[in-house]
Amino acid sequence: MRLTIFNGSPRNKKSNSKILTEKFIEGFNEASDDQPEVFYLASARNREMHLKAFSESETCLIIFPLYTDSMPGIVKEFFEMIYLSDLPRPARLGFILQSGFAESIHSVYLERYLKKFTRRLKCEYIGTVIKGGVEGIQIMPPSMTRKLFKNFKAMGKYFAETGQFSPEIMREFAKPYKMPILKQWLYPLLPSSLHNFYWNANLKKNNAWEKRFDAPYKL
Amino acid sequence: MNITILNGDPEIGDTDFSRWIEKLAESYETDNNVKVFRLSDMQLHYCIGCWTCWWETPGICIHKDDAPEIFSAVINADFFIFASPLIAGFTSALLKKITDRLIVLIHPYMIVKQGESHHRKRYENYPDFGLIIQKEADTDEEDLQIVKDIYDRLSVNFHSKLRFMKLTDQHQPEDIVYATHHF
Repeated sequence: MRLTIFNGSPRNKKSNSKILTEKFIEGFNEASDDQPEVFYLASARNREMHLKAFSESETCLIIFPLYTDSMPGIVKEFFEMIYLSDLPRPARLGFILQSGFAESIHSVYLERYLKKFTRRLKCEYIGTVIKGGVEGIQIMPPSMTRKLFKNFKAMGKYFAETGQFSPEIMREFAKPYKMPILKQWLYPLLPSSLHNFYWNANLKKNNAWEKRFDAPYKL
Repeated sequence: MNITILNGDPEIGDTDFSRWIEKLAESYETDNNVKVFRLSDMQLHYCIGCWTCWWETPGICIHKDDAPEIFSAVINADFFIFASPLIAGFTSALLKKITDRLIVLIHPYMIVKQGESHHRKRYENYPDFGLIIQKEADTDEEDLQIVKDIYDRLSVNFHSKLRFMKLTDQHQPEDIVYATHHF
């Protein structure tokens, strides 16, 4: 399978999307000798190359983070470019949509758009993998990311074997849809420092702790 | 009322859509203080996800461009409008570019809202907003519902409410003025 992957994270090669893509490709390579090509949409000066790669690919996956409830601006720019182009399109198109929010409800609205967009392009829709709770994986201890990475690897292998996303792993990734009731109940009872450890650690590291509640644009 | 309009028409110069938005601004000006931003005339960078605005200079974006003027006009507005022609079934990349940057107005800390995790407010009050779109030749009801649902979700994260979505081929600027004052 000639697979092309576009990474639409604005963080480019420092992105969580890159890490997940690498795990996916590791698994893909266990079942296929074809080496997927990866392009980074954040490299805006390579737009023509991206368009050419998209038009020449047979199966294409686009991975990106959820930004303000939809695709990041650079991904929308790419969508417009491929939609308005007269060049050929890949036969098959799929998406991996990752998010910092733990619950998949944040992403399901955009999934509807991605499906419709694929239909607009007259490509076969492979599906959209939704995975929440991805922010912070670069600083998490291995014990916290082991299952995630193992599943992305398994997803890649399954994709190489079948040309599809594993329904079983997709279901696993999509949990929880909303915050479990017990967690909703416990959340306000626990100290804020527990929920916001990641933010506080970085605020302190950057000597910005005292300014954390600044509201500079209020007149 | 202070009203801010973000015009995400990617075309420069005189277009049907931007003429419509200019008429809307004129209609608003009778009774309101209106600021219109023609995004295609501004120097705006894409959000790069660096989170400088969340953990290094809280509330201030790393980019040095025209966006701070928009941040101030949005957070100090009583009502604001996202306006864009639909392209490939959604609002323009140009409008999305500034929408992504609006995270500068939100705080990174997490809260529970509607049984979901969300970011807490940085400011005490957030203005409600409207959405004005121009259809494409192939826009159907499904497209409109998808766009509306995504902006409804955005309003939850923005601690705000999407008060209306109006189409330029079905409404007049006066209808928008009326809707703004009667939700």
